[in-house]
Amino acid sequence: MQAGETFSKALNKLGFYTLVYPEYPSQIRGGDNNIQIVFSSESVGAPQEKIDLFLAFNEICLNNHKNEVKKEGLIFDYEKLGIKVEQELVKNNAALGFLWKTLGFDLTVLKKQLKEDFKNNQKILELNLKAVGMGYGKGEVAPLRPERSRGTSLGARREIINLTGNEALVRGILAAKAEFASIYPMTPINAVLAFLAKEKKVTIFRPEDEIAGIMAAIGASYAGKRAMVATSGGGFSLMVEGLGMAGMAEIPLVIVLGQRTGPSTGMATYSSQADLNFAINAGQGEFPRIVLTPGDLPELYRLGAEVFNLAEIYQVPVILMTDKYLAESRFSELEKNFKEVKLKPSQPPFALRASSFAQATEDKSEGRSEYRRYKITPSGISSRAFPGQTTFLTNSYEHDEFGFSTDDAMMRKKMMDKRMRKLQDIDKEDKGYERYGDKGKITLVSWGSTKGILLDFIKENPEYNLVHFWRPWPFPMEVKKVLEKSKRVICVEGNYSGQMADMIELKTGLRVQRILKDDGRPFFKEELEARIKNKEYE
Amino acid sequence: MNNQFSTKQIPTWCPGCGNYLFLASIKKALNELKLDPKNVVVTYDIGCAANMVNNLNVCGFATLHGRSIPVAVGVKMANPKLTVIAQGGEGGIVTEGGNHLIHAAQRNDDITVIINNNYVFALTTGQTSAATPKGIKTRSTPEGNPHEPLCPLDIVAASGATFLARTLATDLEKTTQIIKEAIKHKGFSLVEIIQPCIIWLKDYKEETKDRVYLTKPFKDPKEIIGKENLLGILYQKD
Repeated sequence: MQAGETFSKALNKLGFYTLVYPEYPSQIRGGDNNIQIVFSSESVGAPQEKIDLFLAFNEICLNNHKNEVKKEGLIFDYEKLGIKVEQELVKNNAALGFLWKTLGFDLTVLKKQLKEDFKNNQKILELNLKAVGMGYGKGEVAPLRPERSRGTSLGARREIINLTGNEALVRGILAAKAEFASIYPMTPINAVLAFLAKEKKVTIFRPEDEIAGIMAAIGASYAGKRAMVATSGGGFSLMVEGLGMAGMAEIPLVIVLGQRTGPSTGMATYSSQADLNFAINAGQGEFPRIVLTPGDLPELYRLGAEVFNLAEIYQVPVILMTDKYLAESRFSELEKNFKEVKLKPSQPPFALRASSFAQATEDKSEGRSEYRRYKITPSGISSRAFPGQTTFLTNSYEHDEFGFSTDDAMMRKKMMDKRMRKLQDIDKEDKGYERYGDKGKITLVSWGSTKGILLDFIKENPEYNLVHFWRPWPFPMEVKKVLEKSKRVICVEGNYSGQMADMIELKTGLRVQRILKDDGRPFFKEELEARIKNKEYE
Repeated sequence: MNNQFSTKQIPTWCPGCGNYLFLASIKKALNELKLDPKNVVVTYDIGCAANMVNNLNVCGFATLHGRSIPVAVGVKMANPKLTVIAQGGEGGIVTEGGNHLIHAAQRNDDITVIINNNYVFALTTGQTSAATPKGIKTRSTPEGNPHEPLCPLDIVAASGATFLARTLATDLEKTTQIIKEAIKHKGFSLVEIIQPCIIWLKDYKEETKDRVYLTKPFKDPKEIIGKENLLGILYQKD
């Protein structure tokens, strides 16, 4: 994985956009671990089916992937290159040196990248510099790249940011000043735990199970911290009772749900978009929730921060969905585009803490708090107080305004109305989707990670436009007006049945066609083009 | 009792239930410790005992069945200045939530866990819990419970807890004192309150148990294992 980072960042230094898509089995050493690196002078939003240059370290990889190499492409077996290295560990970088030469790039750029990667360990750096030199020496320039870009650099210097989806998400989470994260390890969100654990300002809890994880996050949020959990479908299954409790007790809660291939243990290290229905519908009874589905680096960053505001403003659980492909692949973006992302100011915790404290103390009489945690208001939102400010009740049972348990029919109705009212105007705040491409008559629909792939497609095929849902729930009803105008609506999603397509049909009454994929892999560029052009959706 | 920890809600327990005396004990303990109600968080399980949520004036949180401990753990981590107590019956804390009990003890989380052990699932009309004595007839074991009971203090003693106590709900004075000591203890404290269900455990005979108050706590927590008749503070690590 480190090799993919080094290589793609070195390419960024030359001005190229990159995409690194890793595939690995659920094992630590050996097996078919592979990374695909796509680079281009234009932005890259999709991995590809066919490759130009293939280097295999072992026979399993060689046999599994040699058929993916283009007819005019090159295949190298590392063992036959005759590269001698001092340690097994530096083989990766020796191979990078070899590939770098094959592509005809300047070795000093790759070495510069290595110096950044190993700046804290001079000894290891020396070993690796030697190794890339060794590999570079064994390579020969091959005419793989189009002639016009065969120079050693693109010339124009561009500041390109290179991050995995998980890294971009964590940047958002930290920008929101998250304070508490309980995370039980699970692919594909392990990097979220690793990054947050390095932050002194975030309290980390590795719980005994995902149930404890969500419960502790609820406890921390109740006590006044910006709290989150992160998990995948299996862990989220265990968390469902907590999701409902956050809904009923009106506790702000952020849930990062990194999808992987189910059902059950499924294909633990492969991707999927099959948990949309699950996220929207999980839990007994009905309660308000928000589901966010960022699709690229800037959106992961923006929503990674905004998710905490939404949870706190509406006092609801908010599920932010990624998937293995989006979370663990490494994407590139102009730094400018990243910097332009406007984060809304962090709501509370501070402002809200102060205001509820004032209210809570004002309401006090005769030493007994008159504060109503679940006060019925026009917006449905009641002011929060925190332990230490006043006494109050928080309740997973149906309750009255004070929080006392109740079975009263009238009170039940009032409280359901109050809770469900909280999100009724959310569309006025933000529309929940984005439209790209002005001219196209046919609308492609994405949610989450298919955004990048489809943006690439409509750039080359302007007869199509794209509607991307970044907040599929509450469903943005406004989108009907946009979709109505299209000749066709085709939803492209990574699941078996077309869950978003069903949702759009249900909510708008429009017919939605679908292009689906459920084999653990993302859509590949050529594959998607062929499937759209062959009108597979019909 | 005129006590700042009282609410105006009327408890819903059966007449004669041990929970009434326990409620009196915990109010008395909190009062004698001179704690400010707003600085006390009690996370409640779901079940008969946990219905106390409406009757104690603190920052109360009615959580879910089996989950009072992990919520309490999160609260304490978020704000260590609070006094945090997780309370519930043995059905919730031991049977449904046993995993949390073990791990909170292992981590020595600075919370107090109170298990109101009535030896049966009562609010669901009388089925065996993990702590139901062998041979007892319940609605899930009409021919008698075939299993040896699980003793919550034994599990926790083996897991790393630093304060272990057992008391009878009927002994208001001792229960009050023990709860006070448990709350004052820094680290994970567990108090098991014995209060056999008066409705669903007709076979059970508490008077045959030969209960003994321990005058001096053991030095090794493992010494308490298998000694279910002992009452009082059984182990405390300084």
